[in-house]
Amino acid sequence: MNQESVMHYQVDPWNYYMMRVRRRRMEEEDEMERVMRIVSESAVVIFSSSSCCMCHAMKSLFCGMGVNTMVHELDQDSKGKQMEKTLMRLLATNSTTLPVVFIGGKLVGSMDTLLAFHVNGSLVPLLKQAGALWL
Amino acid sequence: MASQRIGELDFSEPYGIHHRINNPSSSLINDQGSGFDFGELEEAIGLQGVKIRNDETKASAFFTGKPAATLEMFPSWPMRFHQSSIGGTNNKSGGESSDSALSSKNENPFEPESPLSKKASSFCSSDQLQHLQLQQDMTNNNDVIKTASSPKSAHEKRKGGGSTSDNKPLDAKTLRRLAQNREAARKSRLRKKAYVQQLESSRLKLTQLEQDLQRARSQGMFMDWSGGVGSNISSGAMFDMEYARWLEEDNRLLTELRNGLEAALSDNEMRVMVEGYLCHYDEVFRVKGVTAKADVFHVINGGWTSQAERCFLWIGGFRPSEIIMMLIQQLEAVAEQQIMGMYGLRHSSQQAEEALSQGLDQLQQSVVDTIAGAPLVDGVQQMVVAVGKLANLEGFLRQADNLRQQTLHQLCRLLTVRQAARSFLVIGEYYARLRALSSLWASRSRDQTIITSDENSCQTTTDMQMLQPSHNHFSSF
Repeated sequence: MNQESVMHYQVDPWNYYMMRVRRRRMEEEDEMERVMRIVSESAVVIFSSSSCCMCHAMKSLFCGMGVNTMVHELDQDSKGKQMEKTLMRLLATNSTTLPVVFIGGKLVGSMDTLLAFHVNGSLVPLLKQAGALWL
Repeated sequence: MASQRIGELDFSEPYGIHHRINNPSSSLINDQGSGFDFGELEEAIGLQGVKIRNDETKASAFFTGKPAATLEMFPSWPMRFHQSSIGGTNNKSGGESSDSALSSKNENPFEPESPLSKKASSFCSSDQLQHLQLQQDMTNNNDVIKTASSPKSAHEKRKGGGSTSDNKPLDAKTLRRLAQNREAARKSRLRKKAYVQQLESSRLKLTQLEQDLQRARSQGMFMDWSGGVGSNISSGAMFDMEYARWLEEDNRLLTELRNGLEAALSDNEMRVMVEGYLCHYDEVFRVKGVTAKADVFHVINGGWTSQAERCFLWIGGFRPSEIIMMLIQQLEAVAEQQIMGMYGLRHSSQQAEEALSQGLDQLQQSVVDTIAGAPLVDGVQQMVVAVGKLANLEGFLRQADNLRQQTLHQLCRLLTVRQAARSFLVIGEYYARLRALSSLWASRSRDQTIITSDENSCQTTTDMQMLQPSHNHFSSF
């Protein structure tokens, strides 16, 4: 595949371009798979940054509710940047969105959606359903 | 000042003349009536005046009117004038002592030789009313002369200014003083009129300015904030203006809600009003968010709130759990299930508040560490990092406002329409009382009264959760 791309570079730029696009999409899919894999490992998964204070707020919210969460510090991950980009794509937003929380493998969102769910009263049933809360 | 002297000139001489020729002049007046006197007056104004002084009868007629007219200026002092000349003059001087301040200002050496043209002009400039008074006084004088009895002697003696005939040397000074006083009084009346007119015009201007301000405020709501149309106005000041306007709108909506509840409107109509009120709150949160992008400290520190509100501020606004607790205590006719729902809502918001507060604490700690850890020389790098961290404040404010917004919406979902309307009224009343408390407190500290120990303990506790809703006694809604 690589040799082909090199050989065809000067001759067929369009093909080369398409190959690049396809590769990027595969990488993205890899990333997405990776994220999905991570979030399915635990009932509540938080993607955060160790220096972000809003992430700390989200962690303390779950702690206060007595929920065990798995926290992924993206700034300490080698592929953290890419994961962050993936998350941004998931949330369909262009700004940095950390923290992002997944409950039961499903995307919940950023802090504001989490707070909205909590005030709604729909967060607790969701947690119970995911098995993160037993009371 | 010239006319001042003229004033003196006018009245000092004729007084001297007048009482001497009291009786003959009265007969003259009797014969000729008021019309003649007017003619004489016009003649006097037209003349260069020496004629008048020389012609005693004419002068008497001329001045008969004038002094009498000016005498009318002091209707409260008629009795003093008809004493004996000396006594009368004494009284006059006593009576006019109130004008002494004015007259002293107008004190000028008496100059008999000043040209009469000035005298004429002073007559022209004086009130037309005096002419009317003159005419009126003529008729009075006529009555007086005709009866010629003691009850009317007051007029006579008032005109005369004294009964004895040898008071002229004494009267000259007092007459001069009287004349000066009269002039001063006239001038002060004119000044007062001018001042009142000025006041009226500035009052009109003030109302116009207020209207302009209202218009500008309403236009300010549609201005692009970041565009900076009012670039010389700080965004904090603009937010204060916007908030004031929002408060007015709030009052209006609350009055509507109250009237709607009292009039027992249908549920649909009440729902429309409640939805409108929710949108009203959404609006203030939106504006706060926009302002926070420009000036987060102003919004978070609550510079736009009253003092008492600021005391209980939590991240730039009210603490939702406190409001819910107050509503639980103050609302009546709430079903058990609804109360349970409200307790649950309060619990959730408490957890969220706790989380946000902890996040904010960590932010503060991190900023402090960054700044404190900066080397003494060239700590620019740390400063940049600290500034970057402070940018997170806006995020916290947004989350806090989001929490408040969600709490209000959830409250409306939990309660019936009428209960929701009542709860909005309770909240509005609560904030109105907080604002009233602030102004009361401000005036109280001005009076420097002793602060009660209860209030001391309220304000010295560091935990701002200590607001006791039970202390607020609201009328039942």
